[in-house]
Amino acid sequence: MIRNALRGAAPILLLLALWEGFARSGLVPRTLLPPATLVIARTATALTTASFDADLLTTLTRLLAGLALAIILGIALGILAAQNRVGGMIFDPLVRVLGPLPKIALFPAFLLLLGFEDAPRIALVLIDAIFPIMLAAHAAARAVDEKLIWSARAAGLSPAACVLRVVLPAAMPQIMTGIRVAAVIACVVVFLSEMVQPGDGLGDQMIRAARAFRSVDMFVPIVVISALGALLDATLATIRAQALAWAA
Amino acid sequence: MTRLGPVLVLLALLAIWQLGAMALQADYLPTPIAVLPDLRAMLIDGDIWRDMAASLTRLAAGFAIGLAAGVPLGIVCGRSTAVRGCVNPLLALFYPVPKAALIPILMLWFGAGDLSKILIITLTVTLPIVYHAQQGAAAVEEKLLWSARAMGFSPAAILWRVVLPAALPELLLGVRVGIVIGLIVMISSEMIVRQNGLGYDIFNAMDMAQYTLTYAVIVIVGVLGYVLDSGFEALRRRLTFWAPQRQAMVAASS
Repeated sequence: MIRNALRGAAPILLLLALWEGFARSGLVPRTLLPPATLVIARTATALTTASFDADLLTTLTRLLAGLALAIILGIALGILAAQNRVGGMIFDPLVRVLGPLPKIALFPAFLLLLGFEDAPRIALVLIDAIFPIMLAAHAAARAVDEKLIWSARAAGLSPAACVLRVVLPAAMPQIMTGIRVAAVIACVVVFLSEMVQPGDGLGDQMIRAARAFRSVDMFVPIVVISALGALLDATLATIRAQALAWAA
Repeated sequence: MTRLGPVLVLLALLAIWQLGAMALQADYLPTPIAVLPDLRAMLIDGDIWRDMAASLTRLAAGFAIGLAAGVPLGIVCGRSTAVRGCVNPLLALFYPVPKAALIPILMLWFGAGDLSKILIITLTVTLPIVYHAQQGAAAVEEKLLWSARAMGFSPAAILWRVVLPAALPELLLGVRVGIVIGLIVMISSEMIVRQNGLGYDIFNAMDMAQYTLTYAVIVIVGVLGYVLDSGFEALRRRLTFWAPQRQAMVAASS
């Protein structure tokens, strides 16, 4: 376990060392590539700065709000489409049309419709993050063993109770995988929304640093949002392993 | 039914849009019927084609580099545990990084021109290509490899003539994911660095309060996404008709 972790860390440390060495070698100007240690130190400072933390909180709020909505709606729609004949007929073509649409193209429309604050960004996170969850819920709910459903119905469960107590738990392992994919997408999208239409948040920090050519500060928001994504992903993986130990 | 489905869904979406816009009565949400003249004018007078060509050229260039780098790397990763052990931690490290958000840093290095935007697309699409090529190459039946070796194939010939074709179905799944996220990055990079291209067109129209034009470009981007994705799906089916078909998850991080 520990040996595996060490072996995994080796290429990452090597990359960081190469970055540090290259940046300090004088072959490239510091303004173009600041050393890794400088970026890490600046990130630590930023995290203790009130204004940076305020932006981090803004981004985090939007991210979690959009992701929460995507989880609730995605699971509901995915299972509904799997259980319901009409729903199933609409589901496939809808995914085929809207899946490959780069949702960021809708962002200007959201800005016009929902204002320039939190709502359009949450909406963008929602429509980007909902797809993996909805697809996972749909596929998993369709694969639930029919015998389980029949037994539950025979035992006197109402159709609604059957969905909540049989289909949802059985579909949960795959749904959790969908949620993990969605969480990383949500991090990316919320950041992009703040870069495309800056105002506040981590993406805005990035744009402001870029406009002022403060190169170290350009790396900091990227490091923070990536760490946030990795942290969210690891947390969800742990939850999945703990709560769904039976599914293995 | 499967042919008609997307058309019906599209009509239903347009109907919802039409009714919503009629109910709202606001100039920032024109009805699709009001957007139609702008759409027609744009497609005829040709400005949009120039921007679409600019966007698609960058997408194609970024993709070509991504394929050239990602396919060999992924295939080798799939067959060699040493290379895999070296590459996979880096893949895991870069997975949660918002690649499209790196565009200001790439601009710092390579200038504000096409090169930065092409490289950002390359960076994005390479990841799923490497990942899926690796999955495919790792799952090649050992018997095929033994037979090839017994027939005197060199290791390179085995990779090229046995592993690559066997990994193709899985690899093409990665390419499809790459197309979807490549489009996202193409549009977002043009929205962040506004020079030309479809992403620029959308925001430019919005900034000038030409709302019907904004929506017309959004419609064009939507159609482009659908055409590229289903075009590639058709190609993929023809190339891998011999393999059991699997549904790709049409979602991935950018």
